[in-house]
Amino acid sequence: MNENISRLMDGELDDAELERCCNELKAEGAMQAWVCYHVIGDHLRGANGLSPGFAARFAAALAAEPTVLSPARRSHRPAAPATFAWAVAATLAAVSVVGWTAFSMVEVPPTAVAKAREATSVRAAQVKPPGGVPADYLIAHQEYSPATVIQGGGSYVRAVANTGVEPRP
Amino acid sequence: MGAAVLFAAAWLAAPPVLAQDAAQWLARVAQAARTLNYTGTVVYQSGPRVETFRLAHLNEGGQEWEKLLSLDGPAREIVRSGGEVRYYFPDAKIVRIEPRTFRNVFPSLSAEQIKNLAQYYAFRIVAGERIAGHTADIVVFEPKDGLRYGHKFWSDAATGLLLKARLLNEKGEVVEQFAFTDVAVNAKIDKDMVKPSWVPVPPDWQVKQGGGGEVVLNDTGWAVGKLPPGFAKIMEGFRTLRGKPNPVAHIVYSDGLVAVSVFVEPLTVTQTQVGLTQAGGLNVFSTRNDAFLVTVLGEAPPATVRQIAQSVSRK
Repeated sequence: MNENISRLMDGELDDAELERCCNELKAEGAMQAWVCYHVIGDHLRGANGLSPGFAARFAAALAAEPTVLSPARRSHRPAAPATFAWAVAATLAAVSVVGWTAFSMVEVPPTAVAKAREATSVRAAQVKPPGGVPADYLIAHQEYSPATVIQGGGSYVRAVANTGVEPRP
Repeated sequence: MGAAVLFAAAWLAAPPVLAQDAAQWLARVAQAARTLNYTGTVVYQSGPRVETFRLAHLNEGGQEWEKLLSLDGPAREIVRSGGEVRYYFPDAKIVRIEPRTFRNVFPSLSAEQIKNLAQYYAFRIVAGERIAGHTADIVVFEPKDGLRYGHKFWSDAATGLLLKARLLNEKGEVVEQFAFTDVAVNAKIDKDMVKPSWVPVPPDWQVKQGGGGEVVLNDTGWAVGKLPPGFAKIMEGFRTLRGKPNPVAHIVYSDGLVAVSVFVEPLTVTQTQVGLTQAGGLNVFSTRNDAFLVTVLGEAPPATVRQIAQSVSRK
């Protein structure tokens, strides 16, 4: 399910899958995953997103607003559990430690990953640094690659560029 | 094929260049990157992503210093001095220190490599475009098959410094591009401009000493069954990498312009990620081979690294 949400956001679903996924989004907890992925996505794109608990505060503020014209209410969505905000924070912490590079220049401390895993329904494959290709490989390769010689300092850019490569579970 | 057509259309007027000229051009560009003093802003583009870096390079009495600083996105700083490269990640408070052994392959391209270059790429040198305020020579390496990327380089006509580099896929689309938007060549570079911003390393930072030293040249017992034509083995041996209990087999193949590395190591439970990872012009393909993890990494199209990875076997 979470994988399908992730693929939906990446625009990778065909029509049949799209239909199915939209139906699945109505399921318990699915909206949390949806929101969680968007928060992650926003941060990766550099949009700083909203402060923790925004959705709950917004919902409360909206509820307190006098209703002028009330359309038919959809089924009430329960407020996200308190652990949710923390789960997102932990996930983002893991991501920001990695620096989101295609090469794991900075290994995620195992504890950060473990915390992110236990705290959220996001599967391990989705909190893992993308690719997870050891930077040691890249560095060893660059020692011999003619491309390093041609590009000089520019070749280091690849090692640290924010390529935003998405992991494939 | 598409790339070939596009290239042909764009450079119809330019006469083909002899292999020897291309080799000389490569040698000049490689030499310029190492010996000149320069500073400028580099824009790196890969797919829809654009990042900007500040680069400064100093050569003083044959000694090189270089600093690359990210100007957007998370802070990253890379400083090369002597035989060492330091990667600073201030947000994570981590510095990664790697030994760097410099190998300039170009002045020593063998006659066979030059022949290979000419067999698998067509070159053209075109004069007269301005890049970052400099008159640039444009050199195009147009691949003759679909197993390698097309390369287009802009070098400073006066000094040979590479001002812009572009990788193109078989459809003629830009895979990756580096370009100076401004650059001062033969500039006065202050030592401060190439020094790390964190000296000494603050006590609350983690220092990760990388690298396992030199390759021990040896027959690794592994071979590639379907090596793309034009690629020749330039190195084979074992490396000890940090955090890995077993030496890793490392074999490098090159077609004279790019290289593809093959890494083979015993599979451990934590290494489950297989498949393709793309990072700009670098493609990485990992696959399992019995109890081993085979990873192929290089400046070649996805299909090429996959073909190599899937044909790695015990000799």
